[in-house]
Amino acid sequence: MTEKLHPIVEKAGREFADGKLERREFLRLAVLLGVAAPAAYGMAGLAAPAMAQGMPKKGGIVRIGMRVQDISNPHTYSWIESANSGRQVLDYLTVTGIDNVTRPSLVQKWEATPDLKTWTLHLRRDVTWRKGRKFTADDAIWNLKRVLDDKTGSSVVGLFKGFILTEFDDGQKDAKGNPRKSVRLWDANAVQKVDDFTVKLNGQSANLSIPESLFHYPLLILSPEDGGKFGVGSDGTGAFELVEHEVGKRSVFTARKDGYWGGGPYIDRFEIIDLGDDAAAQVSALVSKQVDMIYQGAISTLPTIEKLTHIQVNSVDTGYTAVARTHPIKPFDDKRVRQALRYATDNEAVLKGALRGLGKPGEHHHVAPVHPEYADIGYLKRDVAKAKALLAEAGYPNGVDVTIDARPQPDWELLAVQIMVEQWKEAGIRTKINVMPSAQYWENWTKVPFGFTTWAHRPLGTMILGLAYRTGAAWNEANWSNAEFDKLLTEAEGYLDVEKRRAVMAKLERIMLDEGPVVVPVWRAVFNFSDKKIKGYKIHPSIYIDAKDVWIDA
Amino acid sequence: MLRYSAKQLLNMALTLFAVSFLVFALNELSPGDVARKVLGPYASQSQVDYLTVQMGLDRPVLVRYAEYMGKALAGDFGDSVVFRQPVSALMFDRLGNTLLLAAISFAVIVPLSIVLGVLAGMRERGWFDRAVSVFSSMCASIPEFAMGVFLLGIFVVWLGWLPGTSPLRSDTGWSLWMQFVLPVLVVTFYDAGYLIAMVRSSMVEVMRQPYIRTALLKGMSFHGVVRRHALRNALITPFTVILLQLNYLVSGLVVVETLFAYPGFGRLMLEAALTKDIAVIEAGTLIAVSVTMLTQLFGDLGYMALDPRIRV
Amino acid sequence: MTEISHDLAASRLASASLVGAEAADAGPLGKVYSVVTRSPLATVGATILLTWCLLALLAPWVAPYPPNQIDVALVADPHPSAQHWLGVDHLGRDILSRLIWGARTVLTVAPIAVLGAVMLGIFLGLLSGYRGGMIDVVIMRVGDTLLAFPKIILYLIIIAKFGASAFNIIAVITLSSAPIIARIVRGVTLDIKNRDYVAAARMRGESAFFIMFVEILPNARGPLIVDFFLRLGYTTIAIGVLGFLGVGLPPPDPDWGGMVKEAYGMIFVWPHMTIIPSLAISSLVIGANFLATGLREAALDG
Repeated sequence: MTEKLHPIVEKAGREFADGKLERREFLRLAVLLGVAAPAAYGMAGLAAPAMAQGMPKKGGIVRIGMRVQDISNPHTYSWIESANSGRQVLDYLTVTGIDNVTRPSLVQKWEATPDLKTWTLHLRRDVTWRKGRKFTADDAIWNLKRVLDDKTGSSVVGLFKGFILTEFDDGQKDAKGNPRKSVRLWDANAVQKVDDFTVKLNGQSANLSIPESLFHYPLLILSPEDGGKFGVGSDGTGAFELVEHEVGKRSVFTARKDGYWGGGPYIDRFEIIDLGDDAAAQVSALVSKQVDMIYQGAISTLPTIEKLTHIQVNSVDTGYTAVARTHPIKPFDDKRVRQALRYATDNEAVLKGALRGLGKPGEHHHVAPVHPEYADIGYLKRDVAKAKALLAEAGYPNGVDVTIDARPQPDWELLAVQIMVEQWKEAGIRTKINVMPSAQYWENWTKVPFGFTTWAHRPLGTMILGLAYRTGAAWNEANWSNAEFDKLLTEAEGYLDVEKRRAVMAKLERIMLDEGPVVVPVWRAVFNFSDKKIKGYKIHPSIYIDAKDVWIDA
Repeated sequence: MLRYSAKQLLNMALTLFAVSFLVFALNELSPGDVARKVLGPYASQSQVDYLTVQMGLDRPVLVRYAEYMGKALAGDFGDSVVFRQPVSALMFDRLGNTLLLAAISFAVIVPLSIVLGVLAGMRERGWFDRAVSVFSSMCASIPEFAMGVFLLGIFVVWLGWLPGTSPLRSDTGWSLWMQFVLPVLVVTFYDAGYLIAMVRSSMVEVMRQPYIRTALLKGMSFHGVVRRHALRNALITPFTVILLQLNYLVSGLVVVETLFAYPGFGRLMLEAALTKDIAVIEAGTLIAVSVTMLTQLFGDLGYMALDPRIRV
Repeated sequence: MTEISHDLAASRLASASLVGAEAADAGPLGKVYSVVTRSPLATVGATILLTWCLLALLAPWVAPYPPNQIDVALVADPHPSAQHWLGVDHLGRDILSRLIWGARTVLTVAPIAVLGAVMLGIFLGLLSGYRGGMIDVVIMRVGDTLLAFPKIILYLIIIAKFGASAFNIIAVITLSSAPIIARIVRGVTLDIKNRDYVAAARMRGESAFFIMFVEILPNARGPLIVDFFLRLGYTTIAIGVLGFLGVGLPPPDPDWGGMVKEAYGMIFVWPHMTIIPSLAISSLVIGANFLATGLREAALDG
């Protein structure tokens, strides 16, 4: 290491040496602050994960069963499935791997100033677009500015708000007649071109996770010549070319003929077949070898898949969950009722019944064991008598009657709800289940008084608490407000030192356990299925699929 | 007959108009969600507002309905919010697939039902009649999903003879016609079970008519009577019923299409309903209603042609 | 879900063969009873239906377990056993108990939906046929418009819009079936309203209500009873299909179609979870169809 380390890395290195910092968090921190991943693994005293299983073989076709969606506007993707189509042709600036460590992609190296306000991105110089042009800083800047423009409608905006984006009153009124807030770059020079292969992000405040944010799935780097649109024949820096795309039916990608800058691809052709949402159709297609992989497995098909000798189940623990969350209205306005709900739940049984044991039991607060700052504050044991007592104390000696809203997909959610409802019944919480189609649920998810809502995996515990439980946050679906919680959360967000953060996190978790608005039954593993002949594939916690890494060994 | 057709076509246009407004109004009771649907649950409200204005969704329902109808009459049915494609392109592709499945099934179901139905009804309560009756009731009583899952278990998992899904591509290791076998089989079992019963009842009724008895008493051979007198009359009632099957075969295949991942019209409509993809629901409903009404019209016309006693 | 075409045609057949063939002596129930005992087909059908009705009625006493009682440990070996005669499902719930309690759901929702359709249809059909004129035109036009919707599409639109609940399912089935019943009743009414005894009743100064319901309606009961049982069968399938498509009755209370839906991904390893509720649906449909066929045959025999 001849280069100078970021001061935070140096400090973290000392803490790590003193045993105060976990390897995983040190690794993540070092890499985010510009240490190359292999070097960071070395500093952490770990062997870099071996990526290859034997020598890759060339040739062949891989078919995956996944929804074939509209993919014409990459910057506004709101589904992982569309991003999984786009990413075969288009690259990201960075890539977060299955080990949660972010690595270079089109950005070869990055540096942050000590105050974390300015980030310098050094682009690769050896990347060409398939149509022959060289990839330069202008391409990167065009894409960054486009996703950060409010009018584009990209969810990337949320990640850069406060950093280089600032909110302002745009003079328009929203539907309710209130002044509407839009966002814009806080400074004309916020995204700055230094030279043809260097871009600077000049922020107004510190941000640690810029490299991770650059891998947010809609931030695919398009050729400016395509004007933000994507489709058959679109230019890209990626490993494949899209040659056929029929929404609802299939997509076909062929390997780039002039070679790919990043290693691979090994297969000649990658196809996506749309099998609909029906889980059993996916099994049928695997059984008759019409597809080699299924994008995401359904729990109801797992017993069958386990019997198929040519198929393997890929799974990884995540911070994915779904929470039974309440609004502060009767009967849930009393924290004792919310506690009763938690005491009445048997998380082990939910995990076993709804996920066939794939994952970990939840702990009724929203910080997962996979999060770096997770604090183990113990496991809440089911106690029906206590739940009944709490209900009686709250003035409901005969129990309560409530309705929970849930959606039918993915199927484990409805299973979990059914299991919990049976458990709650024993404590006198009689619950009706109201199932609505997913689309309808997402129109109402913040409005229903009692609902079961999916929460995706996010790398940091503070991120999820800030999104979902801070007073007034846009996704605070529980309308929950606790001044002490907010104060502690802000404190936690201010610590780079993970041990300090963990200490505060323990307090936050206890508050959630005591009076929080949610039941968190499980941390689920995500899983999918692939033919054993497919090598080089490892499931990503967000189920991102890169066909360039896989090969076939029959 | 010409006047009748003209009147019916006019009726049809009026009904279509009513249906289109009904569906539009039903789906517009809660507007403002379309932009949210396009951008997904994680977009900010200001982004949603931009798109709402951009798509013109902030205008009154009636204005949008008028605009929609204007465009629809010119053949433009708008864009699907979910698929983000012109509805017409999407619809005709899926409809084509469904028609193909329907045509093959029809070609199997109709001859099968007529032959079995006539043979059974010819000798009412004979052993063959009893066997066919029980068989057809059984078939018509097993829901398509149960039959489909059952056949999947046997032919795909256990025997491995047939492909489990029918994405209609011949390059996935199974020929196209193999992909049709299971869907057609499921549709046939369910629908033929019903049609056989219809043909049989009609045949039974005809065979009870006095003129058949008279012909038999006059010493004509049984088969001669059946061929020359009974057959034609016995097929008049089922004729309309048979035509009406086209309805089911166009709109009712949703279960089979879901089960076998068949990219057809029914599945498209199911997904559109679940995602409230208004443009697709609207166009699909209009198509389905037109098919229903056209088959009814043809049914009536054919009925008149077959049975000169009837004047509609 | 072929009822759109099926029931239309079935009704035509039912009315074609039954009007006038009706003996006017015994009450309708007595008539049904005597037919059922004479026709073997009807006997079998009635027995199946009655068995399910009894089981449904006695569910709290005959079901061996609470229908929603979950025992995840049982999933290790869900096959039929001495404790669980028909095995358990993927959450360890006793399938026999769920079938029996599920019979309650099916035998409530389907008959109520069909009865609702029959009542609405009778009312509209009588009104339309007896009054004629504009009322007739309006009722028939609206009915035709509803009939023009393929049923499955009508179901999907309405249930996706208003949500899947027992009430909505009943409402949508009632709405979509009533026009056909109205047609049957209207046909009979047109046929009968000019007969002497109706004219006599009018002369006596009976109210239109009395004439419609007391003088005319009884003539339609033959086709209506046959139609009722046929429709009961198809409605059972329709409810199953809705459950299968994921827009049926909400869990956890057992619904046969929903039971199939929940378990059919596992048919390749645990076929009993799918096949048993499928058989239950089929048996009910067969029962209803046999009874309808038997009644029709008996009526044809005079």
